[in-house]
Amino acid sequence: MTEEKEKNNTVPFFPDHAAQEAKVALGVGVILIIIGVLGLFFPVGLAAPADPLNTPLHVKPEWYFLFLYQLLQFIPKTVGSTAPVIGVAILALWPFIDFKADKTKKAMRYRAIIAAVIMIIIIALSIWGEVK
Amino acid sequence: MKPISRRIITIATLVVVFLLFSAAAVHAYTANETANDLGNTAYAPSVSRDAPEPEKDTCFQCHITGEYTNLWTATARWAVFGVAGLVFLFGVIRSVSVWRTREAWKPIPTRVMEWVDERYQLSEFLEPILSKPVPEWQRRWWYCLGGLTFFLFLVQGATGIMLAFYYKATPETAYASIQFIETEVRLGAAIRAIHHWSANGMIIMAVAHMLRVFIMGAYKKPRELNWISGAVLLIVTLAFGFTGYLLPWDQRAYWATTVGTEIAGGIPVIGNLALVLLRAGWNVTALTLSRFYALHVLIIPIITVGTMLMHFIMVRKQGVMKPL
Repeated sequence: MTEEKEKNNTVPFFPDHAAQEAKVALGVGVILIIIGVLGLFFPVGLAAPADPLNTPLHVKPEWYFLFLYQLLQFIPKTVGSTAPVIGVAILALWPFIDFKADKTKKAMRYRAIIAAVIMIIIIALSIWGEVK
Repeated sequence: MKPISRRIITIATLVVVFLLFSAAAVHAYTANETANDLGNTAYAPSVSRDAPEPEKDTCFQCHITGEYTNLWTATARWAVFGVAGLVFLFGVIRSVSVWRTREAWKPIPTRVMEWVDERYQLSEFLEPILSKPVPEWQRRWWYCLGGLTFFLFLVQGATGIMLAFYYKATPETAYASIQFIETEVRLGAAIRAIHHWSANGMIIMAVAHMLRVFIMGAYKKPRELNWISGAVLLIVTLAFGFTGYLLPWDQRAYWATTVGTEIAGGIPVIGNLALVLLRAGWNVTALTLSRFYALHVLIIPIITVGTMLMHFIMVRKQGVMKPL
């Protein structure tokens, strides 16, 4: 009975769903073409050629490693180097840490709060590292 | 959503193509102006530095270096009149065929599919994949973040291959080859901009997809292995960014890599090993550059494609988790 009901609320993957996905991809593709045309007039550009003997005043990694770099200013180097390894290990093995099946929507809300807090910390550290 | 009519799509495509051609023409014009102050019109062949006289010019690749700017006129002419001719030819063939056989016209894609199917029984294999029902609740925008990451990865592959045609991975030539791509190669700056920004977009999309999966709890039994493959994909995406950042070999790239590998060197016990493995020595040198290039264009893409395949097969087998 329920299976029958569920079947009525579906669309075939091809062509209905695939067409919708293609439209989304096409939209992103148009944005990328606009970025490309803008790139003709405002190229990505280059800094000065690399010079191993001349350290610039403000050395910065890419923006997605900036929070880690900023974090390293406050904690010892060994801790700061080990933390991302442990963080990635925890991230990869998270399904075995939080393994109980959800019974209510409450767990989802808690996880949303955890994710929001971590993201706010990362974004704050990144902005701090950027403006400094 | 109301379906968009074919006429509007055709007109929009034509408008986009026209705008692209105009942008390329304007770009060629401004590049001429600044380069040699000779180009008066968009299509005037510019005489640059030490190019031979136009009538003696035997260079067959001059369109690459931008010395021969009259490329688009011929291409556009062939495209417009060629397509018009093909449409006319198709109309004639179709009319004659319908008139002779007195049967409804079978579309060309159907004919191609039938031809292939007769020989390889392809529909037997594709039918279960393509006819899989997709529930309505799954057609929300937050379920397309992973797919968009994959799409941006494909874009990265295509633009990356284009850049690899001109990039030279040695300290002496890397910087100059990027300059060559930016200033001389036709649409090189556009391709580099797309590669640069879509790399950033890919990281944002991957993190957004991971947050969606995390918040919904879609990593729980039976989808643990899929989460692990996703974590591997996030790491290789960041590795793409890290290795790709060194390739321009400018001050920013050089010192970002120096600092980044130094962080890896701070890990207790295996720190020095990690540092030497990453840098191919104690310092960031020519060996580091070729190592990062090999990682960026060969090793990491192979790992990514393999892991993505596993990721997709698993999600296909188990389906997307239905939220409570």
